[in-house]
Amino acid sequence: MATATPHSPTGAPVDPPKLDYTPQAIPLPEPTPAEDRTRKHYLNHDTSLLGWIFTVDHKRIGLMYLVGVSLFFVAGAIAVGLVRTNLITPTGAILELDQYNKAFTAHGTIMLFLFLIPVIPGVLGNYLVPLMIGAKDMAFPKLNLASFYVWAFGALFFMYQLLVGGLDTGWTLYPPYSTKYSHTNVLYAGLGIFITGFSSILTGINIIATIHKMRCPGMTWGRLPLFVWAMYATSVIQLLGTPVLAVTVVMTAVEKLFGVGIFDPKLGGDPLLFQHMFWFYSHPAVYIMILPGMGVINEVLTCFSRKNIFGYAAVAWSSVGIAVVGFLVWGHHMFLAGQGYYLAMVFAFLTMLVAVPSAIKVFNWTATLYGGVISYQAPMIFAIGFIVLFTIGGLTGLFLGTMGTDIHLHDTYFVIAHFHYTMVGGMMFAWQAGLHFWWPKMTGRMYSDFWSRLAAIVMLVGFALTFLPQFVVGYMGMPRRYPNYPDEYQLYNVMSTAAAYIQGIGYAMPVFYLTASLFFGKRAGNNPYKATGLEWMVPSPPDAHNFPATPTVYFGPYEYGVPDGLSIVDKMNGHTNGVHTNGAAKQGVTSGS
Amino acid sequence: MVGPVAHHFNNMAQQQASVRLGMWLFLVTEVLFFGGAFCAYTVYRIWFPKDFEAGSAALNVGIASVNTFLLLASSLTITLAIRSCYESDRKGLMRNLLLTTVLGTLFLGLKAREYHIDYQEGLVPGVFGYLTPHAKEAYEKERAVNPTLPETPENAFNENLKYALSHSKVYKGKPGEDYEPYRVQLFFMFYYSMTGLHVLHMVVGLGLLVWQMVLTATGFFDYSARYVYIETMSLYWHFVDMVWMFLLPLLYLAGPHTATQAMEQFQMAIGLGGGH
Ligand code: HEM
Ligand SMILES: [Cu+2]
Repeated sequence: MATATPHSPTGAPVDPPKLDYTPQAIPLPEPTPAEDRTRKHYLNHDTSLLGWIFTVDHKRIGLMYLVGVSLFFVAGAIAVGLVRTNLITPTGAILELDQYNKAFTAHGTIMLFLFLIPVIPGVLGNYLVPLMIGAKDMAFPKLNLASFYVWAFGALFFMYQLLVGGLDTGWTLYPPYSTKYSHTNVLYAGLGIFITGFSSILTGINIIATIHKMRCPGMTWGRLPLFVWAMYATSVIQLLGTPVLAVTVVMTAVEKLFGVGIFDPKLGGDPLLFQHMFWFYSHPAVYIMILPGMGVINEVLTCFSRKNIFGYAAVAWSSVGIAVVGFLVWGHHMFLAGQGYYLAMVFAFLTMLVAVPSAIKVFNWTATLYGGVISYQAPMIFAIGFIVLFTIGGLTGLFLGTMGTDIHLHDTYFVIAHFHYTMVGGMMFAWQAGLHFWWPKMTGRMYSDFWSRLAAIVMLVGFALTFLPQFVVGYMGMPRRYPNYPDEYQLYNVMSTAAAYIQGIGYAMPVFYLTASLFFGKRAGNNPYKATGLEWMVPSPPDAHNFPATPTVYFGPYEYGVPDGLSIVDKMNGHTNGVHTNGAAKQGVTSGS
Repeated sequence: MVGPVAHHFNNMAQQQASVRLGMWLFLVTEVLFFGGAFCAYTVYRIWFPKDFEAGSAALNVGIASVNTFLLLASSLTITLAIRSCYESDRKGLMRNLLLTTVLGTLFLGLKAREYHIDYQEGLVPGVFGYLTPHAKEAYEKERAVNPTLPETPENAFNENLKYALSHSKVYKGKPGEDYEPYRVQLFFMFYYSMTGLHVLHMVVGLGLLVWQMVLTATGFFDYSARYVYIETMSLYWHFVDMVWMFLLPLLYLAGPHTATQAMEQFQMAIGLGGGH
């Protein structure tokens, strides 16, 4: 291979174009406008309904997830609209007490289980992992379709339970309240969560097997886009964590069904054991909700600052580090729940440790930006928003992980603000960044530059104004999950609610301009952002089988700013990412301005 | 007809490697799934060793022993099925798959009988429980001695358990001293949930076996090329066996039992021998 002349994926020898970046493989020729209008791609090669319902194409399945998660996001947003509106007055503006409990539980469960966990793995993971590694599809396409339907069924079943009887336990489902005292649909709602969890496991298996077995020639582990690494780490967590949640839910359901059970203190059982098992999943699950987002950020930042990622190996391994250490810190949710003192100290220490890999990433991102040629298109605004907001979220996590301060802050709005900074400021912004970044690839159309930037700014401002006051009011002592509060907290709550409406407007905007782009958008061409990944080497939207022939990869994923273009032959052995550099790679690391 | 290599794989080796990896990954999740339950079990076993002993003493170790042999035998036959597949011996494949299915079904049949016996003895905590006539009699006698007891017992399970254990030929513990009947309910919750999950996995495994038999019988199945599917199915089947190998000591052997007792229990369960 070392002496081969470069060939295009169709086999013809190529004359390398001069580019100021080095794609991972030889790009396919751009279709002419006439060809572009008539060409068959994954969207239009079979437009029958059955062609969609029984599709095993990972790209179509990704789009089906996109529709699903978007709908559930709207449902979750409506629920929180009720919650925030209720909090305008100190005595509760619109809801009865039990309605309030049901509303915040619906918000939490829908957003976590039906939106944040599936959103990036389901949509972008499905869509991009095979494309990024040069494969025709996932390793198990039918399983992939099955996991979509399992998810959709579980999610709809869960929504149905929320509508007919509701759930008022909070997303944490703690017994003995959930098993003994709650009169809502704990049993069936738990079943719904179990089913969606099963889908999450199947998706995880599929992604890991795909990454291990389906990489194209030349796509070594060191050349994988960091999004793929992040999806790998996420899938590992899904694989190891979700089954534990599943069995915990089963035991809770059994207790609900039999009327006696394993967590029942009357029999000598221990509700704290439930909390251990629940958080053994749910702390790692917060990383299921952030790692894919971090993966997206790597792709967007490098592209819009025209620079190689700073410290590829550190970023890649920190994902794995998060996956591993993330399993050792669950006890920080139970500092005040009666857990042993020394155990709590160990957990507090390990919690400090888990912040390290996240911090490594943040430092690497800022170092990547340093000296780059930055352009502020919508994906980049979202990505920068992500870095700022996630950093605040992560740092406040340290306040909570310190036992002494957590005694004051536990179960207050400070915790709410903390995890919204990580999950909304983090994952939601990363999701928007990713959606905007790859939208032209998925649909073949560009969206409005102006409106997308405006939406990003509206979301950012709305977000910050919603949750900053919650840090303050939480620090002052306002507990979470209460519908009433003392009068002095009203100002903060009104601010928060008002800004939540602004955020709502921000989230609604993409619906309009993205939809409009499908009809009026400019054609995107193969590679509108001049990015380097394999997914950009093919026409947009891609063909049904992604690549006309299996591509061969010659370079690392982020060779931006290499002025002498694609002289592949001399650089064939150029390992990249600053490890063993020669030629292109070395310049990729440092160039930019 | 689809060829043996699916469209998105480059070659057979890649496809087989993916399928194997996929199954191993799935088994990892299964280990954690049962692992969660085993972990909870371990916690309570450490806290309440005597109560778990008593609970275990009330189980039917006869059926469990026979079931263990059945499952081990099925592990052998499914391995032979891989061998037949490898040697392109279609008849042998059919025979071994069928044998495995029969052994698995026998296991489930006996397990159903065991649940039935447990139910007859009233060893079901919670809302599905009821007071057995024997236990009722025993309770009446006790109340004759100690009239401060309420007219109906507070908890049917506790009385049933006390009755069952007082008639055990092996276990000699006394309620209140050696075990607390209400805590034995915890043991039984583990017993039902863990064996129940195991049974569910067996049912899935039997479904897979039948499916592979149909494929083999219709000839659609190019067994020599696709033997990796038989192999991965057997991985799953072995895993389910392994779970049982853990359940047996944790549930059935946690309390005292003897071989004679096991023999008697089994004979009684299938309707041989005297009984009370
Ligand atoms: C970077 C390091 C992080 C640290 C040190 C940290 C620490 C903590 C601690 C100690 C708590 C418990 C607070 C309490 O209940 O008193 C907590 C709660 C929470 N964190 Fe984090 N966290 C971090 C990152 C994240 C990330 C990335 C996410 C999600 C994407 C997240 C989501 C949550 C959630 C959802 C809760 C609240 C759970 C509940 O009680 O409902 N955290 N965090
Ligand atoms: Cu946590």
